[in-house]
Amino acid sequence: MDALLHRLEVLLPADEFTLLAVILLMPLLGAFVNGVFGRRLGDQAVSLMGLASIAISFAGSVVAFALLAFAANAAGSGESGHAAAATTFVWRGWEWLTLSARAGYSVPVEVAFSIDPLSAAMALVVTGVGLLIHLYSTKYMEGDPGYYRFFSYLNLFIFSMLVLVLGKNLVMVFIGWEGVGLCSYLLIGFWFEDGANAAAGKKAFITNRVGDFGLIVAMAMLVYYVGSLDFGTIAANRSLLLQDLSYWPPWNRLPLLDWMQTQSDWSVLSTVHGWVTTPWHASVATIVALALFLGCVGKSAQIPLYVWLPDAMAGPTPVSALIHAATMVTAGVYLVCRMAPVFALSPFAMFVVAFVGVSTAVFAASIALVQNDIKKVLAYSTISQLGFMFLGVGVGAFAAGFFHVVTHAFFKACLFLGAGSVIHAMHARIHATDAAQDLRNLGGLRRFMPHTHWTFLASVLAIAGFPLTAGFFSKDEILYRAWTSHLAVPVPDGKIPGTTVTMTGWPAWGPSVLFWLGVAAAVLTAFYMGRLYLGIFWGEFRGWRIVRRFRPRAAGHHDGASGAPGAPLEGPMPRESPLAMTVPLMVLGALALVGGFLNPHQLAVLIPGFHFAPVDDFLAPVFATAQSFGEVAIITHTEAGSVLAALAVGISVVAALAGLGIAYFIYAMRGGTPARELAERVPWLHRILLNRYWIDEVYQEVPIGTVDTLASAAVWVDRWLVDGVIAGISSGVVRVAGTVLRLFQTGRVQVYATAMVIGVAGVGWFFALPHAAARAFGDDDTGRYSLTAAPGLGYGYRWDADGDGAWDSDGFGQVRDVRFTLERERSRTVRLEVENAFGLRSMRRFEFTRPKVSRARPAAGRNTVIEIDEAGGARTVTLPDGRKIELEAPSPAEEGAR
Amino acid sequence: MILAGIVYFAVCALVVLLGAVGVVASRDPIRSAVSLLASILGVAGLYLKLSAEFLAAIQVIVYAGAVVVLFVFVIMLLGPDAGSRVEPSRARPSRVVGAVVAAAVALAAVLLLLPRDHGLTSFGEVPAGFGGIEAVGGHLFTRALLPFELATALLIAAVVGAIALSRGRGVIPKAPPPPVNPTARMFGGPVHPRDAGRPLGEEGMR
Amino acid sequence: MIVFGDAAEHFVLVAAALFTIGAVGFLVRRNVLVQLMSIELMLNAANLALVSYNRLHATEMTGHVFAFFVIAVAAAEASVGLAIALTFYRLRSSVYSDEADTLRH
Repeated sequence: MDALLHRLEVLLPADEFTLLAVILLMPLLGAFVNGVFGRRLGDQAVSLMGLASIAISFAGSVVAFALLAFAANAAGSGESGHAAAATTFVWRGWEWLTLSARAGYSVPVEVAFSIDPLSAAMALVVTGVGLLIHLYSTKYMEGDPGYYRFFSYLNLFIFSMLVLVLGKNLVMVFIGWEGVGLCSYLLIGFWFEDGANAAAGKKAFITNRVGDFGLIVAMAMLVYYVGSLDFGTIAANRSLLLQDLSYWPPWNRLPLLDWMQTQSDWSVLSTVHGWVTTPWHASVATIVALALFLGCVGKSAQIPLYVWLPDAMAGPTPVSALIHAATMVTAGVYLVCRMAPVFALSPFAMFVVAFVGVSTAVFAASIALVQNDIKKVLAYSTISQLGFMFLGVGVGAFAAGFFHVVTHAFFKACLFLGAGSVIHAMHARIHATDAAQDLRNLGGLRRFMPHTHWTFLASVLAIAGFPLTAGFFSKDEILYRAWTSHLAVPVPDGKIPGTTVTMTGWPAWGPSVLFWLGVAAAVLTAFYMGRLYLGIFWGEFRGWRIVRRFRPRAAGHHDGASGAPGAPLEGPMPRESPLAMTVPLMVLGALALVGGFLNPHQLAVLIPGFHFAPVDDFLAPVFATAQSFGEVAIITHTEAGSVLAALAVGISVVAALAGLGIAYFIYAMRGGTPARELAERVPWLHRILLNRYWIDEVYQEVPIGTVDTLASAAVWVDRWLVDGVIAGISSGVVRVAGTVLRLFQTGRVQVYATAMVIGVAGVGWFFALPHAAARAFGDDDTGRYSLTAAPGLGYGYRWDADGDGAWDSDGFGQVRDVRFTLERERSRTVRLEVENAFGLRSMRRFEFTRPKVSRARPAAGRNTVIEIDEAGGARTVTLPDGRKIELEAPSPAEEGAR
Repeated sequence: MILAGIVYFAVCALVVLLGAVGVVASRDPIRSAVSLLASILGVAGLYLKLSAEFLAAIQVIVYAGAVVVLFVFVIMLLGPDAGSRVEPSRARPSRVVGAVVAAAVALAAVLLLLPRDHGLTSFGEVPAGFGGIEAVGGHLFTRALLPFELATALLIAAVVGAIALSRGRGVIPKAPPPPVNPTARMFGGPVHPRDAGRPLGEEGMR
Repeated sequence: MIVFGDAAEHFVLVAAALFTIGAVGFLVRRNVLVQLMSIELMLNAANLALVSYNRLHATEMTGHVFAFFVIAVAAAEASVGLAIALTFYRLRSSVYSDEADTLRH
């Protein structure tokens, strides 16, 4: 094994790691082949193509992962030759473009990819879970007319996600970021014939745009302040981010404010002026981190941009599992981990991340309590779990937060696929999408679908944090770290160097608030997952009345729920899904149970001195930079194994068991009666939760309504001002001109010929008559003038150039130019006579007068010429602007000198 | 000898002008074609008087031999439809204007060409070889070689164009009048396509 | 002494008259064939004028060569024009130019 890895190391050097190209391009190839040829290839070939490309990609990821682990081990054991073993493998494609940054620096942007422990783990999750979900989809999507389209999009998604994960700089990440957004849009609206699905896709896309705005701002600021978008360079030069940035007021000068300042009579105004113009400061790191986090909020569906994720459940269920649970939505967490060195510089931004995360966790969990659509429950659960992840990375436990990404990918994908399996089974009888996934139509399915049931149960226990499952280890680690972590300000005295601006530190009340909110979310999670599980698999089946050997009526496949409302349904037993769907479930379910042992910190509570945390150790080099800045240790926390740790673990175990126990009590033992009673007793609470706090409605009214109003105004301007006036005027001109010109367009050849004859006759007439025309040139300064006669057919010319009234010659010659010179204040009349071939003649006079003073003025900008007129003894100077200045008469001495 | 020249010119000019009048005035196109032939032969005669022997020959060969035959051929193709019927003589303003303008042009030409203060312009002596095939050919193949070659290209294009045009691909019928929609008429505005042609029931009357 | 038929003016007058007859014919007749013949008349008139003036400046052959090209162009024009007349007749069963008014509608 070692020998094999040695050989691979030689084959794939760390700075020319071409395996990345294979990992990346295989899904793209699959997307291309399926998208372009899929319709002709047939479903079998399409699924084979999709599966094979992802499988190769997965294999490549495994190899890359193994090589990384091997290199890390070798470095750890201090083996010679591996002392400087890289923890990052790079593949550079080409230099794509060059940005210009501050002070004329140019920032090259490369198409380059790298793989380090963090991205290797993420790539494994993406390709591994992706492979399982592809396998699942081959059966789930069977018979869909858009089969090839589905696999093409899914492969394209894997490609985009890998670009996001493996990108070496923020631009690559951004491309992947947009790519997964696009695929998400395409797959949410996969069944676009239904307008609601298309609208959901649009909602997801547009909501993500808000977040992307933040990401672009962050990239621009990094180019400006750090001069690089490469992750390594950013981490190395992050001290440049510790600068003061005055972000308010954003204007230089506003006339209104100036006016307010002058109003000393009204103290209110000057007070307001003082408020408004007081500068607000922050470190660049804080702003960059918050802008990045805005992008993460959009992509990872956190408050306030979470609204798209529940609607995204309109897509096919495998899509929900892959994109909206396991991979794409965790991209935000991944980005925070990736940019950990930047985030760690700003305790304030970190606290914002943690607080938004934990708030989202509680908020979404509370909504999930009462939802009846099983996919909606899972969607809110995803939002809630993403909140946990942000809580983890926000308190500086990047490895723990990321580990939760991994375990969540296992159990949430399993939950979604299980839900898909249930829906698949329900579709045997109920063909309305909403009714087939309504909790009130399910129940008792554990008898019919044992595989789905057991894997679902495993995942429910995992997400609830049942001891020793995957979710237990990852979630408890997050909660424990939330309680014990402290983030220090990375600069001495908390002042940004060279300024008096204080950086906001980690609040003293932070840890306890974060921890207890997290515990509340954990209780809620355990409860609603218990409710979901019990509602689906326990109790009586409520979907339809089961009839042995049921045969659908001749009306065919679609006679189910579309029949009369309220009519009792009859149908066959729900059946377990085929193997291609249950195998992924089993794999994921098993991982959900035992995946936690990749990072079992909590066992230290039971076994003193226990240390086994492969994931933490593996990821440690990636987050090493973030842990400290110079001499300052930023992220500190109480070590595991202490009493505090035991307490934290105890509390979260109690929380998980309490949630599950209450759910079991209410829904399994009492059949849901206590919950209904509670809803009747506190109807407002139930209504708030059922209607999701009316957040969607508020968004519809406030931001969207504002945009709509603006759009209406713009439409009005367009219709009445642009179209009505501007287009109206031009169309009116054209119409009038056209009406006039149409009179000439008779369509009769003779009329056109007549017009032509008239024109030709006119031209002929003009040429038949002689025209004595000439062009005069003259210079009043020198007195030289000339006259050039216009040429003509068969013309002869004769001149009276000396102005004596007699022709200079009797006959007509070919002399076309005359030149002569005039004294000042003299005039002359020159005559020209022309005779043409017909013997017709024409004569014209030209008057020339040379003025006393030149009329020619020097043009502005040229050398100034001053006219000096010495006539009559007095010297007069004429300035270019026409003024005249009398000069004194020259003294005799000067006269003599001249 | 002088008298013979005078008579020759007079006869040729008369043939030219009478032939031209015949072209324009004949009702039957075949007569026009024959008149055109006469006129062209007259012009060839005038060319001879002007010592343009080569052009006179070309005139007879190309015009009389080819172009007029082509006209006659087309008239035969069209048969009696070729326009022996009386043209409807609607007095169009264009025709009146055209006639007036043409007359004015003629008048102006005559007035302009009337001798002014000097007499008629006499042709001088004819240089040796003037207008012969050698002189014209020499000019044609030296100084006018490029236009000559272009003329061949023009003729090829004309032949191809004539073939392409006269191959004919059926008769294009006149466009039928746009269908009248009774519903649209009644309500004076565009209606939904499904309303087109629908009889006016109670629903329509409402 | 200049006799009749030995002066440039006489030939040019004949050419002008020929041109005028052709122009009037083109304007007043509506039979396409006759109109084409009228065009030929006008081209002949132009040729006659060219040759007459060339006779006046007898050291050059430009007028003759020009007339030669005019004849070539006239032949091409007649062939294409007659083809158009044929096609028009096939489309409209008519040889009258005022029925070629499709573009007007």
